[in-house]
Amino acid sequence: MKKATPYLLLLPALLFTAFVLGYPLVQNLVNSVRDVSLVSGVGGWVGLSNYANVLDDPLFLSSLRNTLIYALVGTILALVIGLGFALLLNMKIGRITTIASFLYTIPWVISPVVAGFSWKWLLNDHFGIINYWLSSAELIDAGTSWLGDPQTVLACVIFARVWQFYPFAMVMFLAGLQAIPLEQYEAAAVDGATMFRRFFHITIPNLKPVFSVLLVLGVIWSFNDFNIVFVMTRGGPMNASMVLPVLVREFSFVFFDLGKGSALSVMTFMLLVTLSFLYLRIISGRESA
Amino acid sequence: MKRYALAALIIVLSLLVLLPFLWIFSTSLKPLSEVNQYPPEWFSPNMSLKPYADMFFFMPFGIYALNSTIVASSATIITLFVGSLGAFAFSRFQFAGKRVFLLVFLLSQMLPGASVIIPLFQLLKEIGLYDTHVGLILVHSAVLLPFVIWLLYGFFQGIPREVEDAALIDGCSRLSALRRVILPLALPGIGATALFAFLGSWNEFFFALILTSSDATKTIPVGIGLFVGEYNDLWNQMAASAVLFSLPPLMLFALMRKTFVKGLAAGAVK
Repeated sequence: MKKATPYLLLLPALLFTAFVLGYPLVQNLVNSVRDVSLVSGVGGWVGLSNYANVLDDPLFLSSLRNTLIYALVGTILALVIGLGFALLLNMKIGRITTIASFLYTIPWVISPVVAGFSWKWLLNDHFGIINYWLSSAELIDAGTSWLGDPQTVLACVIFARVWQFYPFAMVMFLAGLQAIPLEQYEAAAVDGATMFRRFFHITIPNLKPVFSVLLVLGVIWSFNDFNIVFVMTRGGPMNASMVLPVLVREFSFVFFDLGKGSALSVMTFMLLVTLSFLYLRIISGRESA
Repeated sequence: MKRYALAALIIVLSLLVLLPFLWIFSTSLKPLSEVNQYPPEWFSPNMSLKPYADMFFFMPFGIYALNSTIVASSATIITLFVGSLGAFAFSRFQFAGKRVFLLVFLLSQMLPGASVIIPLFQLLKEIGLYDTHVGLILVHSAVLLPFVIWLLYGFFQGIPREVEDAALIDGCSRLSALRRVILPLALPGIGATALFAFLGSWNEFFFALILTSSDATKTIPVGIGLFVGEYNDLWNQMAASAVLFSLPPLMLFALMRKTFVKGLAAGAVK
């Protein structure tokens, strides 16, 4: 009976996971080979034609491209900024760093909906403060529409995403920095290493594990991120900022084609599984090291 | 001298980082005529709390706030209870399949919401939980659970075994050792985890957007998210709702920042 105890303890958690992970994933596969509509209900089996429909849709490739750019560029920028802030806060110049470490984390604490809304308003073509500043400095024409221009819209949502995600990287890097044994720096100082050399030969190598975890988590989370794009642009204008999670909702709940939406979400999931395996390899690599 | 330069840099960066909020806050106090005014001004003599009163006309903010509170508190309680049982199993027992179970939880943390939303939507409709508090609470709990287990696991690992062994020798059962020894010692960690769970549910948008439809169940982010699309010109009222919505997370975070950051770091950097 003793042997059963850990399983009994895990049972509720496993039931929840089956409810939100197991069942939906299986059902999603079933949906994706059927004709399922939000309006006319469940129809017949259609084989792989939902998948073919997705692949034939030019929106798929452009959204995939946008999603990859959004996830990769956004994450890398957020990590660079997070690291910079962590280094700054790690200098510990008194009370001000404590207050700053609170203030710098705020973008991550509030809802992404508020983040998206704030940037949308900040970037407003006519009344936004950013356009006012830039046009006063004569860098741009007044009324430049950042979110209305297919050329600039993706950069804008990435910017908002970076702003919302960098604090997580900062907190992790800061913890990583504080875990570096001081002796390493002291020894280096005794040997006469410059600040520059100490940074590249002690700080960076010590932060490498944190960095790889953050990179993979960041890419996966951004890949899944629906909020910023939905609130700021809904994927527009002319789908120039469309990303896969928003497209799944569009297929399913705007065009009512649950079958096509399911096929797209199965494909998204496959991509994610590939990324997750990468993550696991990094994690288990660290455990055995 | 270097100290002052750094301090100045820190302050400038704070202003830059907080720019969107400062601008939203300023907007939330202005009458509409001054919101739609060029050049924009940070301050105006006509600032008042009026937009905060007006926004209730377009959005039943009180009901949404109640819904958000019900959903987020219930999801927090459920995940903490279910999660601490699971984390206890992982940190104090050796059993077949332990690694696999840990992997399942790790993986489900990366689950794309878009990949499960359609079946969840169908399922909730079928069992009559679509557009109900209970439905959203269950989904939020399940979504938050992996990270909660991960965090709690880290905290439980940090409690010395000897303390628990002493309790067992004194005649406690495993479960009462969890209740009487481990949980009290892990209290700061549990507080941080509760904060995480509450914020996660309070701020959650995607599932709430698709799994609710009536005002009686919609949460605040859904209200704001849809409001932003529909009433595009009432920026001051939208800003007011965004400010009100952000207050509870900010206050909670200000209170618990230290334990939260420590817990996150313990769970992830380890």
